[in-house]
Amino acid sequence: MAAAGRKPITDDGSHGVPPAAGIGLRAPHVDEILTTCPAIPWLEIHPENYLGGGPAGRVLEQIRRDYLLSFHAVGLSLGSADGVDPRHLKRVRVLAERIEPALISEHLSWSTAGGVYLNHLLPLPYTEESLAVVCRNVDQVQAALGRRILVENPSLYLRFRHSPIPEPEFLNELSRQTGCGLLCDVNNIHVTAHNLGLDPVAYLKTLQPVLVGEIHLAGHARNDADGQTILIDDHGSRVASDVWQLFSRALEFLGRRPALIEWDTDIPALDVLLDEAHVAERYLARAPSGDSRAHAA
Amino acid sequence: MLTLREIEAAFSRALLGGDETLASAEVLGNSLAPGARLQIYRHHVFTTLTAGLRATYPVVCRLVDERFFGYAAAQYIQRHPPQGPCLFEYGASFPEFLAAFEPCRHLRYLPDIARLEWVLHAALHAEDVESMDPAFLRRLPEDELPQVTLRLDPSLALLSSRWPIDRIFRVNQPEADPGTVVNLAAGGVHLEVRRIGHDAVFRALDRATYAFRLALAEGHSFEKAAATALALDDSFDLPAAFEALFAEHLAIDFEASGGRQGNA
Repeated sequence: MAAAGRKPITDDGSHGVPPAAGIGLRAPHVDEILTTCPAIPWLEIHPENYLGGGPAGRVLEQIRRDYLLSFHAVGLSLGSADGVDPRHLKRVRVLAERIEPALISEHLSWSTAGGVYLNHLLPLPYTEESLAVVCRNVDQVQAALGRRILVENPSLYLRFRHSPIPEPEFLNELSRQTGCGLLCDVNNIHVTAHNLGLDPVAYLKTLQPVLVGEIHLAGHARNDADGQTILIDDHGSRVASDVWQLFSRALEFLGRRPALIEWDTDIPALDVLLDEAHVAERYLARAPSGDSRAHAA
Repeated sequence: MLTLREIEAAFSRALLGGDETLASAEVLGNSLAPGARLQIYRHHVFTTLTAGLRATYPVVCRLVDERFFGYAAAQYIQRHPPQGPCLFEYGASFPEFLAAFEPCRHLRYLPDIARLEWVLHAALHAEDVESMDPAFLRRLPEDELPQVTLRLDPSLALLSSRWPIDRIFRVNQPEADPGTVVNLAAGGVHLEVRRIGHDAVFRALDRATYAFRLALAEGHSFEKAAATALALDDSFDLPAAFEALFAEHLAIDFEASGGRQGNA
């Protein structure tokens, strides 16, 4: 079994992000947000979109003056057996030093193999070998960034023949060994549970509440594949009612946490995202405080 | 049993359209076959990368139509997948790919249109820099000036074509009059592409100015750049061309003999 933890968990990983509902910042909404300054408790961006020069970086500088920001990375490839690309990690670090995001998160997945980037959050078999690889990569990322990151559960469309560790246990152990926190994507739990025939509530109950620093919410699509309904995590619609129910259960187990609405396909008017965030706020208002859970460890 | 590195290599091959035997063998079928499950991932890889290329190359897409673009993009993605996670850096070799892609070889201007779209895209994401103060050069001994080399704005690209690609580009913008006809025999152009403010823009240059700026961009000295321009046009106004480099904020740094640099 894995080695003892190297870093104590000393916080809930939210670093000043309030337990309120933010939205993912998307390019079509930037001008409207800069012009109208809507009340949004926090915004999340993908750092990969801001690693060049030009207008994107200047816009980010403007946004950060008015809003608390979180980095939600998609390209660090924490599950790569080849390791994390040090050049890419350095670029993320330089951006983080400039923008000073309140949170940084990534996914329990891989996207790079043999120097090729596949632009997808690809699945890992949950084995001791994978755990060692992900721990090594998370250690490297946290050392470079000088801070704790949150690691998010992915949406899965397949299960490996040899994958003996249940995903929530894998995440708990990853956190124990590296000190990272967890980002609980409720939509991803719903999608994965449906596609692989798992119990989403049992999954939630297995996650250690103290580790969870953020919750994600998004819409998914229902696709027919060879007569089977497969849920696709396309972030292209409003949050499904099943996912709101699961969110409500998650808040019971986890307590109040920063929550975020993601929307990436067929991006609607900003008001639609803000409306989804207001729905999330209503659930958060009814939830027990997360403080006792967050500091119980 | 495969190692994680072997599994990832097998998935990478399968998801880029190669052999999926090894990857399939690692996946449980249950109610849906492993191949169908891998196809969900493959579909995402190709559709998102194709969407990225379409956003970078909208005029190429319009010229060849959506379906052909999708076909060409899929071939390109298989042979030249991204090397890193910043997708704004993906697609630099697409123009060369199109130039050699048999099904569109008859559209001889297409690779140059793609080159123009790439340098416009690259200009938008180029490093942010400050332009240099020409006063630095005035402090140099006069006899050193001919050997000075410049570092130019990193968003700058100089592109020449034997086709009227500027006009082809403009008439294929969404707001353009669809009835406009471009005469392909109208001759070529020498274009300068840069980022100005928040926008990437291009304009045509005369041959001598183009050659002067291209020589400087390639790291040649003032003397060499001037000789290149004068060889093309003996009435080339060298002092005006020199001043314009600074008035247009093209020069960002210089190097003189003895290693003296502007920002040192």
